[in-house]
Amino acid sequence: MSRFLALVLGLIAFTVTVSPVRASVPEDMIKTMAANVTTQVRAVPANTNGVTPQVQAIIEHDIMPRFDFNRITQIAMGRNWAKASPAEQKEIVTQFTHLLVRTYSNAINNLRDMDVVVKGSRSNGSDSDVTVRTQMVGRNQPTAIDYFLSNASGGWKVYDVQVEGVSLVSAYRDEFTSLFSNSGIAGVIDALKKKNSK
Amino acid sequence: MKPMQHRSVTQLLLALVFAFGMASGSARAQEKVNDPFEPLNRGFFFFNEIFDAVITTPVTSIYKAIIPDPVRRSIGGVFGNLDDLYSGVNHGLQGKGKQAGTDFSRVLINTTIGLGGLFDVAGDMGMAKSKSDYGVTLGAWGVGAGPYLVLPVMGPSSVRDTVGRGLRIASDPRTYLPMETRYSLTAAEFVQLRAANASAEDLIASSSLDKYNFTRSLYLQRRESQVREAREAN
Repeated sequence: MSRFLALVLGLIAFTVTVSPVRASVPEDMIKTMAANVTTQVRAVPANTNGVTPQVQAIIEHDIMPRFDFNRITQIAMGRNWAKASPAEQKEIVTQFTHLLVRTYSNAINNLRDMDVVVKGSRSNGSDSDVTVRTQMVGRNQPTAIDYFLSNASGGWKVYDVQVEGVSLVSAYRDEFTSLFSNSGIAGVIDALKKKNSK
Repeated sequence: MKPMQHRSVTQLLLALVFAFGMASGSARAQEKVNDPFEPLNRGFFFFNEIFDAVITTPVTSIYKAIIPDPVRRSIGGVFGNLDDLYSGVNHGLQGKGKQAGTDFSRVLINTTIGLGGLFDVAGDMGMAKSKSDYGVTLGAWGVGAGPYLVLPVMGPSSVRDTVGRGLRIASDPRTYLPMETRYSLTAAEFVQLRAANASAEDLIASSSLDKYNFTRSLYLQRRESQVREAREAN
């Protein structure tokens, strides 16, 4: 059964690479996620701001499962990842996930008066690594947001987000690199914990 | 400053940027961040944070409190109208003739029907605003960014982008206005810009572990992406 599925997926991936006009699986995934989240955010009473329990639920059910926080952390840590023990790695993933979710949760309130338009996708050299290009369209100039997805064991998941060409994961990599060179893995964990406790 | 002095400062900066650009252009692949002046930059960054807290933020919040949003957008539009002119010049220099045409049409329409930029009539007509500047043009011509710089008050930059800024100042008609008018216009533009970007600043503050590092990465990545786009267009 799973072999059959793999074959079907492979065929889909093949058609996608051959005819880029056809929408790809990750493209549809982003489209569905955006549509779901937009509908739900707009259902939240308009005068509430910040991260209400309703917004929190949307994030946990519709956004977080689509992100590969393990991979995100690993890329952000770069070559220092291997220098952390499994327990430390786990701690860094937990803390970093918390920081990312906390800081960017508020941003989804923007979907009240902005729309996500999927502009297409391109392969990053392999069938299991794709960039989906989107735009946030609203009052001002549209903002380009690109989602980088890879197809691992758990299906397509996002491992980086670029806003107007700025990669969030790379920005954190610079931070982690300098924290590591100053005070090692412990320094990275401490800084994350300190930030999260604020 | 007299125009004559401007020219010599610009020339000096240009010479500097080319020297740095040529030196750094080849080392593009290296992962290390080009920030040899980090101690000095951190000093200015710290100064800017204080300046921001003590002067810019209070002024900006008063400005936001007394001027309603639509009016603020109109004021932003007037400054933005001048920006479109520079974007047009730079798109032209980058060989993006079509975009330059759109920019100049925007200026023409918004200056006349849009009452000097108070209303973005051209935008409503489907002519999208697209920003560019001398720093991107230099980059598209092959000049590397050079070391990262934090300018007092103005914030993140690079050697190349500082030269771009110099060129912009030198070619700005406002530079040749009487001093008080010029300063008040510049201050007004600064406050307007700051008010428009306040939420981005908040986001940086809340998401970064080391604000200096984070800001530097965002700035350098953004500029590189703009330059790449300008290069790829040709």
